[in-house]
This record gives sequence, C-alpha cells and structure tokens, in this order.
Amino acid sequence: MSARTSVARRTLATPLILSALLIVFALLAWFVGSKPFNQTIIDIFLRVILVVGLYIFVGNSGVISFGHAGFTCLGAYAAAWLTMPPMMKQTLLPGLPEWLTALQLPYWAGAGLAALWAAVWAALFGKILMRLSGIAASIATFAMLAMINTIYSNWEDVTGATSSVVGIPIVRTVWPYLIAAILAVFIAWAHAISRAGLALRAARDEPTAASASGIDLPRERLIAFVVSGAVMGMGGALFAHSIGVVTPDTFYLGLTFITLSMLVVGGMGSLSGAVIGVLFLSVLIQALRWLEAGVTIGASKFALPNGVQEIALGVVMILILARRPSGLMGNKELGWRRAGSVAPDVSGQKQPDLSKGVSK
Amino acid sequence: MSAILQILFDALSLGSLYALGALGIALIFGVMRLVNFAHGDVIAFSIFALLWPSTDAVAVIFAGNLPWFLLVPFVLVMGAGLSVLAEITVFRRFRKASPATMMIASFALGFVIRYFLLMLFSSRPKSISLLPALSQPVEILGARIPLLQVITIAVTVAILFGLTSFLKRTRFGLEMRAAAENFTMARVLGVRANRVIMGAFALSGALAAAIGLILGSQTGTADIQMGANVMLMAFIATVIGGLGSLPGAVIAGFLLGAASVVMQVTLPIDARPFRDAFVYGAVILVLIFRPQGLLAARGTKERV
Amino acid sequence: MKRRTYLTATLLGAALASTPARADDDRIVVGFATAESGFMQAYDKPAQDAAMIRIKEINDAGGLLGKQIEVVNADTKTDRAEGAKAGLSVIDQGADLVVVSCDYDFGAPAALTAESAGLVSFFLCAESIKAGIQGVGPHSFSASVLAAVQGATMAQWSYEKKGARSYYRLLDTWTEYNKGICDGFDWALPQLADATLVGEDTFKNEDASIAAQITRIKSLPEEPDAIMLCTMMPGAVSAIKQIRAAGINSMILNGSGVDGSYWLSAVPDLSNFFVPVQGSIYGDDPNADVTAFNAAYKEATGGDPSTQYVYPGYVLIDVWAKAVERAGTTDADAVVAELEKMNEEPTLFGPRTFSSEIHHQNKARYLIVETTNGKPGVVDEWTIPEAIPVADLMK
Repeated sequence: MSARTSVARRTLATPLILSALLIVFALLAWFVGSKPFNQTIIDIFLRVILVVGLYIFVGNSGVISFGHAGFTCLGAYAAAWLTMPPMMKQTLLPGLPEWLTALQLPYWAGAGLAALWAAVWAALFGKILMRLSGIAASIATFAMLAMINTIYSNWEDVTGATSSVVGIPIVRTVWPYLIAAILAVFIAWAHAISRAGLALRAARDEPTAASASGIDLPRERLIAFVVSGAVMGMGGALFAHSIGVVTPDTFYLGLTFITLSMLVVGGMGSLSGAVIGVLFLSVLIQALRWLEAGVTIGASKFALPNGVQEIALGVVMILILARRPSGLMGNKELGWRRAGSVAPDVSGQKQPDLSKGVSK
Repeated sequence: MSAILQILFDALSLGSLYALGALGIALIFGVMRLVNFAHGDVIAFSIFALLWPSTDAVAVIFAGNLPWFLLVPFVLVMGAGLSVLAEITVFRRFRKASPATMMIASFALGFVIRYFLLMLFSSRPKSISLLPALSQPVEILGARIPLLQVITIAVTVAILFGLTSFLKRTRFGLEMRAAAENFTMARVLGVRANRVIMGAFALSGALAAAIGLILGSQTGTADIQMGANVMLMAFIATVIGGLGSLPGAVIAGFLLGAASVVMQVTLPIDARPFRDAFVYGAVILVLIFRPQGLLAARGTKERV
Repeated sequence: MKRRTYLTATLLGAALASTPARADDDRIVVGFATAESGFMQAYDKPAQDAAMIRIKEINDAGGLLGKQIEVVNADTKTDRAEGAKAGLSVIDQGADLVVVSCDYDFGAPAALTAESAGLVSFFLCAESIKAGIQGVGPHSFSASVLAAVQGATMAQWSYEKKGARSYYRLLDTWTEYNKGICDGFDWALPQLADATLVGEDTFKNEDASIAAQITRIKSLPEEPDAIMLCTMMPGAVSAIKQIRAAGINSMILNGSGVDGSYWLSAVPDLSNFFVPVQGSIYGDDPNADVTAFNAAYKEATGGDPSTQYVYPGYVLIDVWAKAVERAGTTDADAVVAELEKMNEEPTLFGPRTFSSEIHHQNKARYLIVETTNGKPGVVDEWTIPEAIPVADLMK
C-alpha cells in the first residue's frame, strides 16, 4: 500500500503537467474567442481522449490494436440513443426498446453510460481476443472493428444504418471536453501505476520473466482493454455532441489510422507521448491549413495549393519516425526534474514489438 | 451444374485477387517484418500511371492506349518502380525500427501517395477502357463465364507457378527464401540484404500492378481507393495463412474469396448486407484456433 | 405521421436553441461551407460554380434588394468535424445564407451550425429527406430532388413506356442515397398492375467483384425485363460493366448519380441504359435556356458540365434570391416563409415546391436519358403523377 502511494507521488507530476498543458489550450480558445477556433480546440481535446484511450491498451500491452475505433462507434451511438429527443428517436430509430426511446439524459450522464456500454463490449470481445498476442491479436481486433462497422452500417431500425443519426444535442463550449480529456489522462495514469498496469508493462518488456513470476497475461490485458474501451466510448459520445451527427464510417479506418499515427509519433509507450503526439500533429495540421487558406506577408499573399496539407503531414510523419523511431517522447514521461517514467520500477523499456511470436 | 460451376469461378477469381495481394504483402513481410499499408496505394498508382494528370471528369489517356503487350509490362514496371522507390527513399531508413513504427511509416507513405493522386486527378473515378477484349462471356461446360474471370484465374496460377520456380530454382530466389525464414541468419551466411529486399519490393510492386490491371479491366475504373479493399483482405489473408509463409498466404487468400462468395450465395436477403460481419467472425475463429496461422512458417513459434 | 414530422421539426428547432436571427446589416453575404479539397471536392465544386453563375447574373442585374451579393468561403476538407468549423467560420464572416456540401452526411455538421445560429442553410445537391426539416431543422433546404423520386420515376416510366413487367432490384448498401432510389422503386412498383419483382440482391460499392450477385441474376429462369440498379460512383461503373460482361442485356434503370458521359468509355457500346436527369448536359435539353446555361458554365469554368449535379447549385441561389426579394429582407424566418409559399415555382430545371412539411422535392419532372451504343441522349420526360408521401420517405 505504502509502496503504491509512493509510486503515485513520484509519478503524479506527469498527469499534472499534461493537464496544465491542456488547460493552456483551453484558455487560448477562451481568449481568442472565435467560434471556429473554439471548435478546433474541441477537436484537439477529442483526439487527446481517443489517443490516450488507445494508449491505455496499446502502450501498456505492446499489442497494436486496430479495433479501438469500434468502441468509439459504440460510445457515439450510445450517446445518441440516450440524449436525443424521444420524438426523434421514434421516427428515426423505431427499433429501439421503448424504455430507451422514452429516456432523455443530459449529455454528461449519456457520456458516462456510453463509456460503460463500450466497456461492457470491450469485456465481451476481450474475453475472446486477449488470448492472442502479436499480430494475430492486431488482426483479430481489426476483425472486431469490421464486424461492429458492418452491423452498425446495416441495422436500419436501431442505428439508422449508413444514414446519419441527427438530433443529438450539440455542446459547443470547450470546458466539458477539457474536463473529459483531463479525466482520460488521470485514468490512464491510475491504470499505469495500478497492479494490473505494472504487471502488463512488465510482461510487455520481459515476457519470459513475467510469465515465470505468475502474471496472468490475458487477464491483465483484458483489464487494460476494458479500461481503454471505456475511455474510447466516452470520447465517441463527446464526439457525437461536438458536431451533432454520427455515421458509422466516421469510426472506421480513417480514425483508426489517425489515432494510431498520433500515438506512434508521440511515443507509443508513454502517456506523455500520447498527449504530445496529438498536440504536435494537431498544431501542425492547423498550421498547414492556415497556409493553405493563405497567409498575407507584407503585400503579397502566400498560399499552398489545396491538398498539400495532407501530403505535407504524411511527409513530416515519415521524417519524424525516421529520426526518432520510438516517437517524440520515446518511452519517457514528462516529470518535474528530469524526464522520468510513469513506472520507474519496470526495467528494460523496450519498444513494444509487433512481431512478438515471430523470431528474428 | 452450370450454376455450381459459375459459383466456383466466382470464388476462384475473387480468391485470386486476394491471393495475389496476400503474396505481395507476405513477400515484404518475409524479408523486412514490414506490414506494408501502402500496398493498396501502389495498386491505384500503377493504374493512374496510364493517365495524364487532370482533374477533369473525363480521363485523359496517356499510356492507356498502348497495345496490350506493351501496356501490361508498362503497368507492371510502374508498380515495381514505385515500390522500389518507396524502399530506397523511405523504408531503408526503418530497417532497425520496430514493426509498429514501420507500419505507421508505411501508412503515412500510402497517405502521401493517395493525396498526391487526389491532387492530380481529383476524387472522381476515372473511366478507362482497359483491355476491352476481356469483357465478354465465354462458354465453358454450359456456363457463360466472363472471359476476364478465366484469365484472372489462369494468370494467378501462372504467377504462382512462376514465382515458385523462381524462388526454388534461382540463386536469388534461394536467398529470398532464406531471408524470409530467418533474416539475421541469412545475412550471416552471406545473403546480400539490400539486393534481396529490393527484389522483394520490386516483385511485390509488380504483383500490386497485376491486381491493378485485373481490377481496372473488371471495373473499367481508376479510383484512388481502388486498392483499399483488396489490400485489407490480403493483409488478413497473410496473417491467417501464417505470417512469413507464402503458400499459407495464397491458400488463405483463396479461402477468404471463397468464404465471401459462398456467404453471398447462401445467406438470405436480409442477412446479406451483414455478409462481411460473418466473414470477419470466421477470421476471429480461425485466429483463436490457429493463432500462428494455417501454415506457420518454420521458426515463427512464440518464444514464451 | 404528418403531425409527427412536424413535432420532429419543432423539437429539433427547440433542441438547437435558435438564437435570434442576425440583425439585418447592409451586406448580403452567401457563405459556402463546402469541400475545396478531398473526396467531396469533385462533387461540390461544379454545383458551387453554377451557384456563382447565378450570383453573378443577379449582381450584374443590379443585385438583390439593391445590394451586391458578397461571397465568403470555408473549406470542409471533406471532413465532418472540419465541416462544423467551416460552418461557424462563414457565419462569423456574416453569412446570411449558408450553402453546405452536396452530400447530407458531410453537409449536416455545417448546416447544423447555421440552424443553431438561426440562419437559412441549403445543401448543394443532397437527395435525402434528412437534408431539410427532418434532419437539420426548420431553416434548412436542399436544392435537388429526393433519390426516391428517381427510383419511382424509373419504375413508372419503364412500365408505361417500355412495357417492362419483370423487375430485378440490385441495391448497393453503401449509402443512404442508394437506398433512397430503391425505396422509391419499392413504393412505385406495387401500384403497377402485373409488374413483378422476380428477384433482389445487395452488394457493396467497394466489392472487388459482384460475380456472385450476377450469377444469381443469371440463374433466373428468364432474364428480367429491367434491372433497378440502386448505386453510385465509383462502384456503379464496375457493376454495369460486370452485368454486361456476363451477357445480361436487360434494361438497366438508374438514379441520377450515374449521369454523365465521362465514364462511358469503360463500358464500350453500352445500350438499353436509362438515367433520370433534371436537365441535359448533352446539348439536347427541350429547354433552350438550359443549353445556354451550359455554354455560360463552359465560359465560366472552361469545361462542359460533367453531370446534371451542376444544376441544383444554380437552382438554390435562384429560389433563395426570389424568396429574399419577396420578403424584402434576408431575415431567416421571413425568407423561409416565402420559400414555403413556393408551389411549382418555375426554374430553369423544372418546377420547385417547398412546404412547411418538406423542404425538398418529393415530386419532380425528370428527363429520361437513354444511352444507345455508348451515346446518351434525352428520349422522354416523366413526372410522377402523385408526390411520394413523407411517411414513406421517413421509414
């Protein structure tokens, strides 16, 4: 117990610094006061939630998951079911059970339940999938995403199939998103220093030693899977409230790759890396978009041709990864004094290895 | 009888596409442990190479009007060329990186290729009449089979035999197989890494171009997303087949194609839109029972 | 049902908490929150160019309410979250009318920002009933015609004019637009005496091959008279090519999504192929003014219109400007009231009707384009005699 509190005290700096960073972004939005800019910041916070959620599983277990966008999808639709006006549900989603149709919760309660709903499914899928390791697990998570996507794209009465679900109350202030992002960071931190988190990282870095010391790997992975599923679900719910429409294809390959890229560019094994990756790439994207829209320097207007933003983003990502293969933060965490680690008592911080199960 | 024959051809021709894709991904994975997410974009690129850049709705044909005996090699060379270029400019810098980093780099590269094509050609699908002689039916045992299906299957079988004998008979092939089995050991034994890796990329790129040709003649369309679906299925086939195992990848590719066609045929109309959910469910089942894949390559057992 | 839709609309209005409409300033601004890059750009730009032509015509003729119409733009980058930002951005720049992306899914986020600011929004060419009251709110409209009308038009016309009796229905489940075409077909078919549906199947736009679906058609005892093909680009070309390559020569009936000659080279000598269009891009429109518009479009953009989806952009500015003129203000509620009074309002591309129940066309005149030996041309026109009830559109 006392060891745990001491770990907590030693590593508390990381979530605090990250939260401070997020608060700075929120204040920036508040000072600038422009509505589109406000929406940009909301977007960044949403990505922070999703990438941190992804980190909880991928970072700690070292298993790349292609399936987490599925939990975002589950969360977003759950939020829609819980917060839309009952009348609209009756016309748009007639297949919902009566009690659900009649229910209309405030958005924060909806987001909480959405997280729970995603967690339940993460537990069910995880029970089967967590027996797998390495790339077999990655593919199995992708198969899970594809199943969720196919079902949500075709279940007319309950999800509205490919048609957008509308009528979700829109929340345009930045604060709820800030709070949720900070909450996600603290959940990730708490999981990382919990018994399950420590054991999982130990198994990631030293599989043989870990299994010899009796770590039940599938169980520890399952815990991480469920926790990260819940955070992804919450992110999905808030995403729904940020623009007011959801469709299944929003939560498919595009989102999967963007979140994974941000995590890997930031540093896959580090919570700080997850947050920094999002902030860095988001700022880069925004800067490129401004350049695309045109910047006036002196008397001449300078603008990139449309479409260059995406190409430049890809090139910059490749360059960063070539220079720093383990991401901007590597496996390090932000701390007060020197760069420390969330879990200093786990030795041998190796990059998680996709090809576990394939000898080199 | 003729209906069953027809279904057999449907399954084999779809399976051929997946098998060729899986082979392209497995070749590179074998020598580099790289899951190449840019493969689908190489497929699209090799077909767009037939057109002049233009954002008009009407495609401006560049090399697309060549006679077939020039057109086919041209497309294959474009695919192989882009693939080798990707190796030299990007992947060479990632030899020592972790597979996750390499995978994201390949995704980023695919992203760049896709948006490059988008900028040059716009997202509107371009119509091309590629090898038009192939879009007519032929009579086989009472069933009218599209000629292209027959050719697709024949070409795939030919490629498979050609590749097998290339890998078995030539020194280069031997080096590549050795590298696929155990890269470090092969290097120690004197396999020239750069040559082998470049060779693998060239072959993989040419295979992607072959898929592009088949898709292009079948759909009559060049679309920036055209390779995405095949690549996903091929990627899954590579894993189910047993990563690093070329025959495994091919077999799994054919199995996936067959599963997809059989489900389309047997599912009731209301369940048919959910077809892919069943296919992916089957994928999970296979993985649970055979996590190493159907044909695990030697030396790929989990070490714990 | 009518009441329910009305309630839906009211609730949406309430849920979105409309702030009081912007005070009428000296400027009249049209804001385009559309895709200038990415996938949707190829679909948004032509319609937007057409809208700009109408704006220029109005400005050249002295403007609207005596003022020149100004235009502001924001790029949605074919991304939903960016769409919301683009909407907010044009509103910040003082837009009185917010024009949003062609597709409902991509346009809705921007349209919703306009709705909550109490502004009129128009979808460039969305063909889902949700692009309007039912999916955005009481200030939202679409300039195009519902997909269901296309399906119903094709069913009735082929039955009456081509004597088709046996139909096959092939649905691509990719988008709501595709399903909308087939919904309209399903609504029309039972009303046609002794027309039968001999079979149906589904596929996905991205399917590499639809061989299995084609095998099912070929195993029918008799080739159907017509195949109702509910799909869109890019999968449409592939499906059509594979159907013909398999030796099936039935009539193929389509939605407007496959209009255009740019893709015909992929299926050489295509025949027996029918598409409903709002106006002809082939220079043979019965209305000479359409041909004149095509010339104006070519002059403005350097190319001919590539599909009929250019036209709704022109229509939207046309009807909105008329409503503003009649209301004498750009105030949203007054403009909406004027728009809702429009009944068979003549436009260059057929009459347009809006009501307090539906801000979309559930009945419209369509030209029928037949492609013979790879040459498309107008052969007929058809208006469904009865509007498709809103209840059938909402299911």
